[in-house]
Amino acid sequence: MALIAIIDDDPDIIEASSLVLQSKGHDVISAGNPDDGYEIVVEKKPQLIILDVMMDEPDDGFFLAQRFRKEGVNIPILMYTSVSKTIGFEYGSGEMVPVDEFVEKPISPDDLIEKVEALLKKELKRS
Amino acid sequence: MNKKPKILIVDDEKGLRLGTKRLLESEGYYVETAENGTIGIQLGTKKDFDIAVIDLKMPDIDGTAVLKAIKEAKPNTVCFIATAYASYDSAVESTRLGAYSYIPKPFTPDEFIHEIEKGYKQRLLILEAEKLKQEREERMLELANEKSRLNTIIESITSGVLVVNSTGEIVYYNHAALNKLDIEEISLGEYILDKLPDEITESVNKYLKSDQVIYNSYTVEVELKTHRELFVDVTCSPVVHPDGSLAGVVIVIKNITEFKKIELLKSQFVSMVAHELKTPIAAVQGFLKIILDDQLNIDREKQKEYLQRSTVRLEGLLTLVNDLLDISRMEIKSKKRDIEELDVKEIFDSTLQFLEIEIKKKGIIVELNIEEEIPPLKADQNEITRLLTNILSNAIKYNKSNGTINIEVQTNNNYFLIDIADTGIGLTPEEKEKLFLEFYRAKNENTRNVSGTGLGLTIVKRIIDSYHGKITVDSTYGEGTIFKIQLPK
Repeated sequence: MALIAIIDDDPDIIEASSLVLQSKGHDVISAGNPDDGYEIVVEKKPQLIILDVMMDEPDDGFFLAQRFRKEGVNIPILMYTSVSKTIGFEYGSGEMVPVDEFVEKPISPDDLIEKVEALLKKELKRS
Repeated sequence: MNKKPKILIVDDEKGLRLGTKRLLESEGYYVETAENGTIGIQLGTKKDFDIAVIDLKMPDIDGTAVLKAIKEAKPNTVCFIATAYASYDSAVESTRLGAYSYIPKPFTPDEFIHEIEKGYKQRLLILEAEKLKQEREERMLELANEKSRLNTIIESITSGVLVVNSTGEIVYYNHAALNKLDIEEISLGEYILDKLPDEITESVNKYLKSDQVIYNSYTVEVELKTHRELFVDVTCSPVVHPDGSLAGVVIVIKNITEFKKIELLKSQFVSMVAHELKTPIAAVQGFLKIILDDQLNIDREKQKEYLQRSTVRLEGLLTLVNDLLDISRMEIKSKKRDIEELDVKEIFDSTLQFLEIEIKKKGIIVELNIEEEIPPLKADQNEITRLLTNILSNAIKYNKSNGTINIEVQTNNNYFLIDIADTGIGLTPEEKEKLFLEFYRAKNENTRNVSGTGLGLTIVKRIIDSYHGKITVDSTYGEGTIFKIQLPK
């Protein structure tokens, strides 16, 4: 069981994702923009972050991820994307995009749970 | 023979003049006569006779002088010298001066007709040769013209044209080619392949280095100046000798920079559209998957809520698709327009009525001031309603609760002036700049709960542009926004 932060500007996506995660016993906190997202992560110290790529700006999810890493927030980040395929740009994690995993929207509950559990398990081993 | 051969007889002997005239006319000739050399020269140099028969010895002027004068003026007239004092010397002299032949006097009618017929045959040959010569000259001139015309044509083409021979030397070019390739100086016969961009040289070499003649054309796209400054499409085609061997390669360089820019804009637009379409789909699908997931076991109450929220998202999606269709319809200008005289007050009233629920929900006060005796607005009702709905619904959505919307409608000599002011959140200067861009929505803490497609003002702008009107925005961040619209009277 873990505390998971969801940062996404679409309240319906937050609602659906929260419900799926809560059904597995996780606690969920959420924010609808990068600034609030940064705040809840720093304050509540979740074990995992689910972060949308595109909020107010087309790439502010990336910048927030970079900011977390720069400031020593090293917990797993699962990134939600929606247009990577249409613009022909396949994201890969790395220095530019310091996240651990990607999920293409729309998200199926099974997929989300599987990816979240895997990241949490990996994180447990690491620490 | 539809035209009678024209004969001139120059002789001081009246009997001979009359006799030959009668004889020739009976044979179908047209005859004029001159009784002395002076008249002979007058007639012979003025008219184009087929044949002239000139007496050598005349009291006023010598026959050779007449011959000379006629030959000078009309070199194609066939001239005979007739004389009773035939001598070898005078025969040579008259031939030297251009006489065709020599008729010794006296002559029999048969002899005379025979000479004239021979002379006329000669005349026809001369004329035919003359005609051919003229035609050839004309054709040469035409050819020269054709060549310079071709040069002018190729020079006036905006595409660059280069022709290289089979050893890679330049044999033809226009200045558009030099300009595109940034070549400052070149002379015909110079080796050019090392001056061309690699991609073009490669294409040309396909022809030059092949053992067999390649008959296909190759086209490559080359970025001649980076950052999309100059993009060209280069087509190479073979030029083949009549015997089938390769003479060279013609290279046509077309500027496709604008096309490439549009292509980029299009793909950006497509990815934006895809994102905007996918967002609500993702939300709806998320809800549906949750409802369908047996493990999650959502209760009926929650299920209903999610279905309702899904419906709202689908409605938004539908509005977006309709907006997109409107925009593309405006782009292809195929939209049928019904221009009619619209009552300005009526159209504002009906639009405000349509938005009444939203206005009341937010407690907004609307002030509408329309100039008295305002003329009717000549426009398509649907378009104007759409325009006002989009602007007014923004004025409601982005307004403060219990704010106001002030609408002023006036006219000047040329325009209807419509000012719509709200007491809403206003725009920052950066937001103002991007306002009419597709999918642009001011995003900040005040706008998070406002829904929209991001196409509303794009549509407004396009409608106004299509009427050759104007729209400007004044705004103070945090205080409100005024849209000022001008529509032609």
